[in-house]
Amino acid sequence: MIETIFWLSFTIVFYVYCGYPVLLVLWRRAAARPVKKRHWEPTVTVVIAAHNERERIERKLQNCLSLDYPSRKRQIIVSLDGSSDGSEFLVWKYVSQGVELVHSRSHAGKAAALNRALKRATGEIIVFADVRQTFDRNAIRELVANFADESVGAVSGELVLMPTDPGRHLQLGQKQEEATTDVGLYWRYEKALRSMESEIHSITGATGAIYAIRRELYKELPQDTILDDVLTPLRIVLQGKRAVFEPEAKAYDAVACCSRGEYGRKVRTLCGNYQLLVQCPLLLMPWRNPVFIQFLSHKVGRLLVPWALVALVVTNLSLHGGVYALTLTLQAAWYAFAIVGYALSRREATEPLVIPDENERAERAA
Amino acid sequence: MKRLVSLPFTFALMNWAALAGLYYFITGKKDVWSKSKSSHVHKN
Repeated sequence: MIETIFWLSFTIVFYVYCGYPVLLVLWRRAAARPVKKRHWEPTVTVVIAAHNERERIERKLQNCLSLDYPSRKRQIIVSLDGSSDGSEFLVWKYVSQGVELVHSRSHAGKAAALNRALKRATGEIIVFADVRQTFDRNAIRELVANFADESVGAVSGELVLMPTDPGRHLQLGQKQEEATTDVGLYWRYEKALRSMESEIHSITGATGAIYAIRRELYKELPQDTILDDVLTPLRIVLQGKRAVFEPEAKAYDAVACCSRGEYGRKVRTLCGNYQLLVQCPLLLMPWRNPVFIQFLSHKVGRLLVPWALVALVVTNLSLHGGVYALTLTLQAAWYAFAIVGYALSRREATEPLVIPDENERAERAA
Repeated sequence: MKRLVSLPFTFALMNWAALAGLYYFITGKKDVWSKSKSSHVHKN
């Protein structure tokens, strides 16, 4: 019995992190479904939901206004959720440039902020953006090109995590190396999975910083939704459309300084995954969910792995000799290294990454 | 050398986050904006 639990736990961990990527590689080779992209110019609404983002909101608006897309076909809506820092006054400065403001005086949640914005949206395509990240100049064009394929209902862009390096500033338009910290590598692994899932059928979640959908497919979000960027694309997949990944539509952000910096975001994401199972039980029905295997392997698997890891340690303590002595030694070494890593991470410092806007870049060039 | 210890730490931390996520979900402590009712719209 203990041996069975041990090997079952080992299989879960191995499959989720190694077996599933291999399965995707083989699946993609056998049944890839390329998206029929075409560059066109549908009307687009960029939706930015924010709460107390006074420090960053202007930079974000300047970035959105400088994107390569005809202004007559572009609507920008900022939905402020109970901001108390005066962000609305900064947004008002951009109303004359076509920016629209939806302002709730009280906290209603990000989902409610998005729902309010969507009631004002008129574009055929809705592009969701966060305040913190900066879009690449051609990001919208690259996103909407995928919607020329009628089977596509949602498109996720690529979030590029740049290294946090004091004294070095990210210059858009220049080739930059993506972060190679542990968090950066983990994110690259995630994007590789998404890319393969996209080629087969659909991704199991978009990047909140940059994703787009057909407006007609949007369903109002429950007010306490944690992961709008996962629930919305998966709802679209359940409606029979594809949710794909577009690596040419880039948004830039600074990588978390260290693993501890990424921890909070990860807790929120995984908390949201639990909520997703309650909010959308159809995802667990293989006859209703066209990406059931992907969802089970990628999302549910990540929730099972921690329990499997605990079971691996506990059962291994009762199993002696042969291969079990080796696995116990390896596990002990792994967690000993992890403890040393924890001690080292406490010394790491945080330095913010500054992404200059168009004016700053022009000033520096001069 | 640093990666030798930071990789296991990151892996352990990310998995610990799943357990913490379950705790936050069950107790209703979610790191997102919370609920309310009223809103108004500025029209440009």
